Amino acid sequence: MVIAALVCFTILFVAWLLAPEHPRAATPLAAAPDVEPMPLLEAA
Amino acid sequence: MPEISAGDTAWVLMSAALVMLMTPGLALFYGGLVRRKNVLSTIMHSFFILALVSVTWVLWGYTLAFGPDTGLGLIGGLEWLGLDGVTGEPSSVYATTVPHLAFMAFQMMFAIITPALITGAFAERKRFKAFVLFAVAWSTLVYAPIAHWVWSPDGWLFGLGMLDFAGGTVVHLSSGVAALVAALFIGRRTGLIEPATEPHDVPMTILGAGLLWFGWFGFNAGSALAANGLAATAFVTTNTAAAMAALTWVTLSWLHRGTPSVLGAAIGAVAGLVAITPAAGYVTPGAAVLIGMGVGVVCYGAALLRLRSRVDDALDVFSVHGVGGAIGALATGIFATTAVNAAGVDGLLAGNPGQLLVQALGVGVVAVYSAAATAAILIVVNLFVPIRVPRPAEEAGLDLAQHGEIAYQP
Repeated sequence: MVIAALVCFTILFVAWLLAPEHPRAATPLAAAPDVEPMPLLEAA
Repeated sequence: MPEISAGDTAWVLMSAALVMLMTPGLALFYGGLVRRKNVLSTIMHSFFILALVSVTWVLWGYTLAFGPDTGLGLIGGLEWLGLDGVTGEPSSVYATTVPHLAFMAFQMMFAIITPALITGAFAERKRFKAFVLFAVAWSTLVYAPIAHWVWSPDGWLFGLGMLDFAGGTVVHLSSGVAALVAALFIGRRTGLIEPATEPHDVPMTILGAGLLWFGWFGFNAGSALAANGLAATAFVTTNTAAAMAALTWVTLSWLHRGTPSVLGAAIGAVAGLVAITPAAGYVTPGAAVLIGMGVGVVCYGAALLRLRSRVDDALDVFSVHGVGGAIGALATGIFATTAVNAAGVDGLLAGNPGQLLVQALGVGVVAVYSAAATAAILIVVNLFVPIRVPRPAEEAGLDLAQHGEIAYQP
């Protein structure tokens, strides 16, 4: 059971390593701090 | 087989729940201090760690910190990996009147909040993926060994007689020093309003400080690990030091800046709570007054120095937790008395100057180890995942850039 639990955590850990950055993090954004926020409904 | 006490078990489990509440409280405390575009990312650091370390502690953290020693007093073995052998029966070593699982859960909450404290230093510019890797590594390679040194009966600092009732060195000094190293490594935030960026929501920070104060009764009085007079002593010294430090910080800000700062009351209270943490079960309420006032003065000065130093420890983690933890650990060596806790040791004022030296040694070792190990972890993590977000993402705010969400509708 302990081994299975460690495997489960490892799966998550690898997923974190492989997970993409949010698209907006990789896209140059307007320098202004009050950049237009993404509508929540659109994000969902 | 030791017998379980219903009262002790109830108190330790209740205390674990109180300490758990401190991490969301910390999230609010920090969340109010940052700019509105970074509040979610700041809260997420603490909330994610609550989940993350809950799992790693069960899987390997607890056995490394509290498991049977590997021989040198440096780290626990793997006998309790995945809580194997940790049951509803009492341990023969730790808190022998409560279920071993209750003691483990209580300690888990300490392991959770410690790396969460560090997040205040790199707020508003750390990449979330790098933060996750850092949190796992730091919890495993820094927190677990230090907890073993100080709190395991086989730990080498424990063997020297070092006193740390509830984590002045294990929790606060280690995280405070790590925060300073992290702030130096990651660099200053962009777009700061000089001399300091204004908090976006002071009431949120005050609410967070209130929850921290409330939870700290579990942190310190719970560290008696029994529902007894020692718990009551720690409860009273904790409240007294927090109150005195809050009064001191407000007074200093009033004299220095001309107004009694509301934010100063919250930060002062936290500084007092930090400083009394290692001493809570070893000193009198009178000593708690002195400790609270002393840490209020010193931490206020440390926060001013930090502003002038240009080190962007964004939320003053080092000034409050690093300096406060060191002050508290040293104060324990001065004010500790066996009249309060027969299982403790007398300090300087009770005729045992050697205790102050032991405390100073512990402070030095924990600070140096935490600094070196934190630097190493940051360097390695940065090789795989850049610690800092790109400048455009930082300018847009991490809530949107890293999490795709915003805290407040325009």
